[in-house]
Amino acid sequence: MATPNLRTHRPARPVLYLLPAIGLLTVFFLGPIIVNGVIAFTDMGENLRIGKFTLLNFERIVQRDARIPTVLLTTLIYVGATLFFFNVGLGALLAITTTAIPERLGSFFRGLWLLPRMSPAVLYGILWIWIADPTPTGLLAQVTSAFGLPVLNLRNDFPLFLIILANGIVGASFAMVILTSAVRSIPSHLSNAARVDGASEWGVLRHVVAPALSQPIRFITLYQALSLMTTYEYILLITGGGPVYDSTPYALYIYRRAFENGAYAYGAALALGLMVIGIVVTLLQWRLTDMRSTFAAPKIEVL
Amino acid sequence: MTKTFALFATVALSALVAGMAQAEDIKIKLSTLVDKTAPARVTNIEAAAAIINDQFKAAGIDKHIVVETNVSAAKGWDDLALEDMKAFSVGQGPDIYVLPHEWIGKFAEDGNALPMDSKIAANPWAYADILPVLWTAAKAKDGKIYGIPQDAEIRMFFYNKDMLRKIGKDEAFIESLPAKVEAGEFTLDDLTALSKQVVDGKAAQYGMLHRPNVGIDYLMVFQSYGVKFMDDKTGKLMFPKAEMLKALGWYERNARQGVTPADNTAMSWDAIQGAFKQEKAFIFHQGVWAVAWQLGDKNGATWPTDKDGYFHKIGWIPAPAAEKGGKPANLSHPLLYTVNAKSKNADLAADLVALATLPYFNTEHDVASYHTAISNAQTAMPKYKENWVLSAASPMMAHAQFVPNHTQFGSYNKVLFSGLQAVETGKMTAAQAVDFIADELGLQFGADVEIREAVSN
Repeated sequence: MATPNLRTHRPARPVLYLLPAIGLLTVFFLGPIIVNGVIAFTDMGENLRIGKFTLLNFERIVQRDARIPTVLLTTLIYVGATLFFFNVGLGALLAITTTAIPERLGSFFRGLWLLPRMSPAVLYGILWIWIADPTPTGLLAQVTSAFGLPVLNLRNDFPLFLIILANGIVGASFAMVILTSAVRSIPSHLSNAARVDGASEWGVLRHVVAPALSQPIRFITLYQALSLMTTYEYILLITGGGPVYDSTPYALYIYRRAFENGAYAYGAALALGLMVIGIVVTLLQWRLTDMRSTFAAPKIEVL
Repeated sequence: MTKTFALFATVALSALVAGMAQAEDIKIKLSTLVDKTAPARVTNIEAAAAIINDQFKAAGIDKHIVVETNVSAAKGWDDLALEDMKAFSVGQGPDIYVLPHEWIGKFAEDGNALPMDSKIAANPWAYADILPVLWTAAKAKDGKIYGIPQDAEIRMFFYNKDMLRKIGKDEAFIESLPAKVEAGEFTLDDLTALSKQVVDGKAAQYGMLHRPNVGIDYLMVFQSYGVKFMDDKTGKLMFPKAEMLKALGWYERNARQGVTPADNTAMSWDAIQGAFKQEKAFIFHQGVWAVAWQLGDKNGATWPTDKDGYFHKIGWIPAPAAEKGGKPANLSHPLLYTVNAKSKNADLAADLVALATLPYFNTEHDVASYHTAISNAQTAMPKYKENWVLSAASPMMAHAQFVPNHTQFGSYNKVLFSGLQAVETGKMTAAQAVDFIADELGLQFGADVEIREAVSN
């Protein structure tokens, strides 16, 4: 009886309610993309003036910039290794181990791993510089010299390894939090039943826990891959992208071209490239990891 | 009665308001780089403002200059130049800004630097005595002067004599070093060999250290190797491969022989200066103003502050010649007070600069920060003459050269520095670095930079 009445009371102007969100998106997302898109087709240099519209920036990216292949390879190694070993691998390991030990201890460890995430980026960066400092005051140098090993100069000789490590340790906490809740949400009767049936602990992990983690891991991979591709603050702080361009992934390369040299138009063109790469990678992952099923409506929760 | 009272009240009130009225504030924005050893770049302009304010007051003019200083924490003067350019592009440029001289062309071209020729002609009391060579450094391509030189200085290699004593060199050798360098007998390779002896003799941890970021000092070595950065005839920047290869090769050998640490360019200023001050490094190349932290107890060690004590420990040489019989090289890198051409207070800002350029003020700056005089008069001033550091540095000006006043030189130098970094860190050989720099220059500047096989073709 009441249904027709309710229908007449539905919100009349949904656009009005969405207006703040649309406004924010326009000003902070759409606007910069459009501005960037325009700048990419100009010759804007260090004085920020536009002399003419040109396609030269794109020609330079595709044909002349000999740094691009190396930068792309660096990006692939950096994103791939950080994602695989730390943002997913270490995160999953932390989630599984901290849920297997007593509750309080587990929470304590998870809290510890969240510390770098909570500390300011500059502080975290300086800590890593101190750790990697090859002089006797550096942490790593103190450890290696205590064991009589030669001093390693990570920032100079293994800069890519250093930034993967630094970014990975701070990045593992995201997966840790999400996967912990995924592990917790597995009904305990499933693993109990498996154990009764004679499954080993490894078997429980393999056949009960792992399947429950696969969907959140797909989401984490997609999300973190994008975030790793577009952020560079720790790299800028720790190695500055150097020596030369050795630890400069694509996002930092854009920054260095635009803001170290004042080649703003070229930076904008490179940034358009990053947008394209981001979209392609996301679509590929969507397809390959079957994200559609992750976001599909649950099949069992019938109300 | 009421009328009279009303009139009286009005008059009284007006007088009161007039008396209480604030003088009109004229804001002059000054932009410079943070530099704790050279505060007078700011205080001289403030003192000049105080003089004019007093004159305003005496003349009953209801105006008051307020100097607002933006002390930037940018990584270096080049980055500050980029910052200022951004500020200008949005109409927020400072009224007066301190600029390394090689950037003047760019700011002049953009219309952000006030041409100073007429001001210089009109105010001989401030400008007639300035060293002519400094005016050359302040000229843009059109031949006009766009900035007022400050911070004259000289770059050099500082060497630690105590370390030479430690490895058994006698006083005759130690004291004859500057003369040998001057005569072209002692070359850059000899300097490397000597540094290696010091390091091998365990007298120092590092042989030679230089700045960790883009700058001017290391360009002295390039000049010793005969590198020219600009073709004087065409006014175009150039990159002579053969000479560049030799100069980068010297830095490469230094790093491979353990004379310079491979990560010199990743070290902090504190670590580098600390290493020299705490006597862990034999040689440091920079400018005479580095004496500011070398004297006394800064940077973790105490050094003598008197002339004899200091020169007993430390010696100065220009960049030695590349080959025996060649000429040593020295660089000077004046900074300029530049006035914003678009400022509505441009004339007033120029007046402040004129006052701050007077011998009294520049000498105040010089003796505190160890920069050399910009005018002849200063060298006769007691306070300047008493400063033994400046007296000792003046003769080194004989070889002083400048980096080219080219609008693109700042960016060119950044590319050159990344090549230097590549060579030192062992990422590239000198030959690879030459190709890398040539490729980068071509990419960034296209035909604006001439890539040549050698200077002379």
